[in-house]
Amino acid sequence: MSTPLLRLEGVGVTYGSGATALAALVGISLEISAGEVTLLLGPSGSGKTTLLQVMGCLLRPGQGRVVLDGRPLETLGAEALAALRLAHVGFVFQHYNLFPTLRAWENVAVALDLKQVPRNRQNAQAMHLLDKLGMGDRASHFPAELSGGQKQRVAIARALAGSPNLILADEPTAALDGKTGQGVVATLHDLAHRENCAVVIVSHDPRVEPFADRVLHLEDGRLTDDRRAAGNQA
Amino acid sequence: MTGPGIRTPLLGTSLLAWRNLSHDRARFIVTLIGVGFSVLLMGVELGLLVGFARTTSGLVDHSRADLWIAPAGTTNVDIAGRLDERRRFQALAVPGVATVGKLMLQFGFWKKPDGGNESVSLVGIELDSDKLQPWNLVEGRVADLQQQDAVIIDRLYADKLGVHAIGDTVEINSRRARIVGFTEGLRTFTQSPYVWMTHRNALVYPNYRPDQTTYLLVSLKPGADAGQVRRALRERLGRVDVWHRADFARQAQKYWLITTGAGSALLLSALLGLVVGIVIVGQTLYATTVDRLPEYATLRAIGAPAAYLNRVILKQAAISAAFGFGLGTLAVYVIVAITSYGNVAVIVPFWLVLVLAALTIFMCMFGALISIRRLVRIDPTSVFA
Repeated sequence: MSTPLLRLEGVGVTYGSGATALAALVGISLEISAGEVTLLLGPSGSGKTTLLQVMGCLLRPGQGRVVLDGRPLETLGAEALAALRLAHVGFVFQHYNLFPTLRAWENVAVALDLKQVPRNRQNAQAMHLLDKLGMGDRASHFPAELSGGQKQRVAIARALAGSPNLILADEPTAALDGKTGQGVVATLHDLAHRENCAVVIVSHDPRVEPFADRVLHLEDGRLTDDRRAAGNQA
Repeated sequence: MTGPGIRTPLLGTSLLAWRNLSHDRARFIVTLIGVGFSVLLMGVELGLLVGFARTTSGLVDHSRADLWIAPAGTTNVDIAGRLDERRRFQALAVPGVATVGKLMLQFGFWKKPDGGNESVSLVGIELDSDKLQPWNLVEGRVADLQQQDAVIIDRLYADKLGVHAIGDTVEINSRRARIVGFTEGLRTFTQSPYVWMTHRNALVYPNYRPDQTTYLLVSLKPGADAGQVRRALRERLGRVDVWHRADFARQAQKYWLITTGAGSALLLSALLGLVVGIVIVGQTLYATTVDRLPEYATLRAIGAPAAYLNRVILKQAAISAAFGFGLGTLAVYVIVAITSYGNVAVIVPFWLVLVLAALTIFMCMFGALISIRRLVRIDPTSVFA
């Protein structure tokens, strides 16, 4: 069993108030450990994205407690949360969210710049990350010049900038064809094990499951299943 | 691995700011034209103000007198009464006074060779004194004014006065006058061109008595206290005004630019240029920011502090300011070059360029505030929408 990196205790999130109040998460308690891939499954509206936002320090829950790397989030302000995200969390988005005016390596370099990596080392480190994801030869391309899979690899390289210990991926395969999507998930799986970071993937895609070490099931904002995956492709 | 051609001199917020602007070239060009136009408007209006100010006090500024003695109640150098010459001797008796020169300045009527009249300012000087001489002389010699009916005028007003070359003759107050030289760039705010002549000749044209003059120009002995001498002169001479040269120059500027409203109008136009610039920069930066909100939300989501986002906006404003300022200043200097041949001077000294630069920076940073206010409210969870 790996060391718990993220701990959620009785987390609840409610949108709106009064008669229109909607409980997006109810009493979620779980731990996420380094070195494993956690797959978050559930139908639309089950609260997967909200849970990902809570895990990524983007949303403070109305109830319960979140502790990331030993730091409880409930007392932190917006800037402190941003600093915590910067230090610990890498995001991979469904639609890549690359900066369209920046080249592939510059997209990665911006994340390094945020982490205050010295300017003279940003280029080399960005290239190193892109090489690791097989994108070295596309480093000078703009996002518009890349395929969906290539964009997602650049996005993963950006998420890895500064070596975060938690990578949160929101539907990383949704905009990709089957083969490309599998390649992207395989990459995340390799990273979790090679870099010893925790990877949480939100997905509808059943092809992701074989790459998961653990599968969580959400329904109506409640955790309905939490099981270890057997025989994953690690 | 670092491939060839993938390095860039810009990184981080500078890179984002530059690419945000340059990616949409049409909008960037509109921004630059807007900023440039504002700089042009401010530069020309403030340059006119400086030009007018220098014109109103040109005679005083170019004099070598420490103090000016003027008829009591004089508000500007161009319009004054008369002083008796005995005042000169009274002034010479005051301790600290080295020399006292006479200067005549009165309006006259200039009859053009081909008919028609113009109002002129007759400037009577003492040739043996260095207190005030025509400057920027481009044709003829000051010494030629010794001749009985000799006058020097400025090239800028030659057409207006109907003369073209040395030797042309006209009538001033129904007496003959002959052109012996030309200056260049000596403008008058009253639009009555300066006509230089000897003090002796000047006495004839406005029918002054031989013992009268308009101003007495005082030079002090080395080490004399100007303030003390000024007080002594006022006590000794009685009903006259005694000005330090710089004070009299400022008084002339104040009179023409403030009391006539000309300065206020120019300052108001310059302010309008500033407002136009703020609106243009604010609008285009805001439009660029709104277009890129998802990117700013992404930056915020991945951990960028608010200050990082603000730096991107401020750098966009700074880039717009720098390029717009360059464009605008270039246009201002084109106007300066064109007006150097006209009756109206646009003067842009280096200090005014610095003022324009400061105003441009203020304009662009103020314009950026609207965008910054928008980014303060950005929701990083919107990246999952």
